[in-house]
Amino acid sequence: MTWRGGNNVNLTRRQLLRIGAGVGVATAGGVLLTACGDDAQGTAGQASSGAPRKGGVLRVGALGKASAITRDPHGVQNNESDFLILSLVYDALTVPGVTSNVAPRLAATWEPSADVKRWRFTIAEGATFHDGTPVTADDVVWSLQRLRNTPAGKTRLPGVEADAIQADGTNAVTLTSTYANSELPLLARLTTFTLKKDTADVAGSPGTGPFKLESFQDGNARLVRNDAWYGGDVLLDAVEVRMFESPQAMANALLAGQIDLASNVGAVAARVAESRSDVQIVKRPNDMAMPIVMRVADGPFADVRVREALRLAVDREAMVKQVLSGYGTVANDVLGTADPAYDKALPQRTRDLERAKRLLTEAGFDRAKTYQLYTTEDIPGLAESATLFATQMRDVDVKIEVVKQESSAFWDGTWLKSPLYTTYWGTNDSLVFFASKTMASDAAQNEAAWKDPAFDAAYQSAVATADQTVRTGRLKELQKIEYERSGYLLWGMADGVDLAAAKVRDLPKLGGYGRVQLERTWLSA
Amino acid sequence: MAVGLTRRRSAYLAGLLARRAALLVVLLTLVFAAVDLLPGDAARSTLDRGATADALAARRAQLGLDDPLPVRFARWIGGLATGDFGVSARGEPVSAILGGHLPNTVLLAGLAFLVTMLGALALGGLSALHPGRPLDRAVSSASTVVVAIPEFVVASLLVLVFALWTGLLPAVTVTSTSGRPASASMLVLPVLALALPQIGWNTRIVRAALTDELRAPHVEAAVLDGLSPWRVLTRHVLPGALPTIAAGAATSVGMLLGGTVVVETIFNYPGVGTVLAGAVLDRDTAVVAGTTAVTGAAICAVLLSADLVRAWATGRRA
Amino acid sequence: MRRLLRFAPAVLVATLALLGPWLAPHPIDEPVTAPYAEPGGGALLGGDVLGFDVTSRLLAGGRELLLTALVIAVVVTGLAALIGTVAALRPALGRIIERVADTVMMLPTVLALLLVVLAYRGDSRGALIVAAVVVGLPYAVRVVAAAAAPVAASGFVEAAAAGGERLWWLACREVLPNLRATMLAVFGLRFIEAVYVVSVAAFLQIGPQPPAANWALMVRENGPGILLNPWAVIAPSLAIAALAITVSLATDALAVATRRQAVVPR
Repeated sequence: MTWRGGNNVNLTRRQLLRIGAGVGVATAGGVLLTACGDDAQGTAGQASSGAPRKGGVLRVGALGKASAITRDPHGVQNNESDFLILSLVYDALTVPGVTSNVAPRLAATWEPSADVKRWRFTIAEGATFHDGTPVTADDVVWSLQRLRNTPAGKTRLPGVEADAIQADGTNAVTLTSTYANSELPLLARLTTFTLKKDTADVAGSPGTGPFKLESFQDGNARLVRNDAWYGGDVLLDAVEVRMFESPQAMANALLAGQIDLASNVGAVAARVAESRSDVQIVKRPNDMAMPIVMRVADGPFADVRVREALRLAVDREAMVKQVLSGYGTVANDVLGTADPAYDKALPQRTRDLERAKRLLTEAGFDRAKTYQLYTTEDIPGLAESATLFATQMRDVDVKIEVVKQESSAFWDGTWLKSPLYTTYWGTNDSLVFFASKTMASDAAQNEAAWKDPAFDAAYQSAVATADQTVRTGRLKELQKIEYERSGYLLWGMADGVDLAAAKVRDLPKLGGYGRVQLERTWLSA
Repeated sequence: MAVGLTRRRSAYLAGLLARRAALLVVLLTLVFAAVDLLPGDAARSTLDRGATADALAARRAQLGLDDPLPVRFARWIGGLATGDFGVSARGEPVSAILGGHLPNTVLLAGLAFLVTMLGALALGGLSALHPGRPLDRAVSSASTVVVAIPEFVVASLLVLVFALWTGLLPAVTVTSTSGRPASASMLVLPVLALALPQIGWNTRIVRAALTDELRAPHVEAAVLDGLSPWRVLTRHVLPGALPTIAAGAATSVGMLLGGTVVVETIFNYPGVGTVLAGAVLDRDTAVVAGTTAVTGAAICAVLLSADLVRAWATGRRA
Repeated sequence: MRRLLRFAPAVLVATLALLGPWLAPHPIDEPVTAPYAEPGGGALLGGDVLGFDVTSRLLAGGRELLLTALVIAVVVTGLAALIGTVAALRPALGRIIERVADTVMMLPTVLALLLVVLAYRGDSRGALIVAAVVVGLPYAVRVVAAAAAPVAASGFVEAAAAGGERLWWLACREVLPNLRATMLAVFGLRFIEAVYVVSVAAFLQIGPQPPAANWALMVRENGPGILLNPWAVIAPSLAIAALAITVSLATDALAVATRRQAVVPR
């Protein structure tokens, strides 16, 4: 049996590329939404695509900083360009899928023990490294243990100690968690890159992926097709990855025809390209959340009426229109908008200045004071969202001063501590992800310092059950509590936006990390 | 000039060299300490958002951040002597990062310097030879205009006019898989953005230096002797004006290298300027110090050459 | 009279920059258009990254730049006058000052900016001023010292020194009054340099905070939309250029006599 677990993924980055949007935090975006979603605008060139054709070189632009280049598959990849290269050369156990949150890759199937603590992953048949040697359980165990032993390993494979990763025969591995964890297959998405056992120099070492590394220079790489890939036919002859420091430079290069695909280039570039018939705009919904965090434990926003008032005072439509140039959707203060279990029945909050003012008065909120809203420029639109939010709050006589912090200062001094700040997350296909990471009372990254026993109970019973009906019920309850009482103000969700030349077909349509899956992409004649 | 390299002279040169080298070491110490004093550190910058305290401590130990500052500095500068620049916070050798990007910056700044000096000598020379004439006034006004404008303004306007509106030149540099700019046309705009303000600056210096020298008695004497204008210029005017021009040019090299940080960012140029800007934000001491060491050494070398020119010219005149 | 004419443009630009915030037709932090909307309607120069009015932000965005640059130029010139004169009067001290100046001059401006400004968490304008002073001082000190050396060696100063006058008295009463032309030229150049430093800092996004309007910040934050509304970038670029050029012209008028010392830092 292939058990489809919950929706959790643990790919979080302390900081993304400051100039670009997100590699680290992003993962399989709206599975459902993308499947039924925005095909019309995104993939005009693909409608009349005809039969896939083999051949051609795809030149891909991706964001990256020269100072942040890393070639270690288990390192911290702040550069989207690095992550793209690694994802094409190496295979993770599982990946985000189109019909399900978790799709097989190097692991063909997986199944849990009765107590949902021990998971067994079976390696795909015919999987070989680029040098021809077959992938064994020992290789996978060694790679997972290497990942677990990196400084970030504990957060990437939580609850799984290094010695709890073991070979089970030659073609399967078992991971034993210290607690019942229905989310483990989701955790295995995308960073569980497999190398050959005892690889000493990991940079450029053979992988198992759809493309083989031909050359690498300062963040730019040329990759050629792996004809022996176990995952099916790869169509492109080669992929050339070019690193760009800014989305603007990348957009310019695409418009000038210097690259064929500008990955995660953003809404402004899309607006420039709207007038160009030779450029496709690919919108990937629910790509990035940029909520405002209001501290619950203490301080001026501890009163639930104050938080409710700010949620009523924000003009969500205007935020989406001005901050995201319209490339996004209004949200309803519940994080994990792309989760299949996301509750669309909760009433959408809209602007109600009178009620907001009344609540503030009832709560005795001090409107004579000026409150600081801390933000960073880690991703495009974040500081802008803070600026516009501050302007909107004047309409309920709340004075907010935006303080734009340099990234290090923000993550060291403000995050998890300040009463009011902006944050961002690219993992938006899982309600449980946010519950476990940022809202459960004992969560290490409880951004608003929110402790709510009823919420904790709903979360715990949702992860401990394998019964989908029970689970959905508990998640509905969880969302209602989150909607009413949490420390988050989530005004909208940003689309991920890629630009591509007209000839590029079958581009990845998933949000977040899904954009690196180029193995099915091809070029029309 | 016929004196040759007497002992006194070589002692003087050795002194100059030692002084410049000492200054470089002082500078590196300052920069190393300054990066260290910044809030946040490389362990934080290169970990996931949710890193635990244990993970942070492990990462610090791995990066050697536990040692006191002097120990780390000694280790680093000791490595420099053997060509070892250390490793970046992400585990990449700094020499590899610099080795890939430095040639690109040298190419960019070198071309910009060449354009600067050719432009300045031509314009300044023409101006000085025709003082007060329309040409002189035009050059003088133009140099006033460009000297004061920051590179990013020049760059933005150049991109708009030559790339986005007319499409004559590429707006950004695309790196080929070899790590170099994919075509020569991509260098034109960045070089111009760097060079234009410096041409303004140096034209004024060249003009002033030549004008002063043209008024000097020995030049007037040479003219009265009936020497050809070319001979007067090359044998009598230029040598006298050279120390001033060299000093201005040396200053320009520093400013050109500083300007690369901004210009490389705008044009997506794969050079050390972008590396430096990113490394400071990441608190990546090894990369910042390595980059400063290399650029500092380059500036040192250029200042030293200016010193030598001055020494040569003084000796010649004596 | 001709001299006055050369000052007029600088005075005009400075006045506009100072009074601009009161002339702005719209609030600088409320959207009036779509992001990067083209000129039209109530927005003469279109909208910026958030749909704020570019015209209003242009009018509001010069004052801080101008005032910060002015403070820097005053501080640098003042310090340079004192340090440079002392260096000329006390050659032993002068050599040490020269060494220090040499070291600081090797520090690339942008790196100095990044380091100093990042080190301060709170007061970024203060930090920016400190950084700009540190970077600009060595050049100014060298010019002043070079100009003061002949004065210090002249008979009347030596006589005063022999008469037992104290260092500060010598510097302020005997040497500096003879350097008025040099000091004015140094001030003008330092002001231009300060405009450069302040705007580069803003461009590197260290300094002004949103939603404050600032010409250099406008160039940076509106860069991505340059094809949608070019005026959001061109207008502030031209404003910075105009400020720098007019001040540079005025300085030229002042500095005719001392141009060479002033432009060549060594």
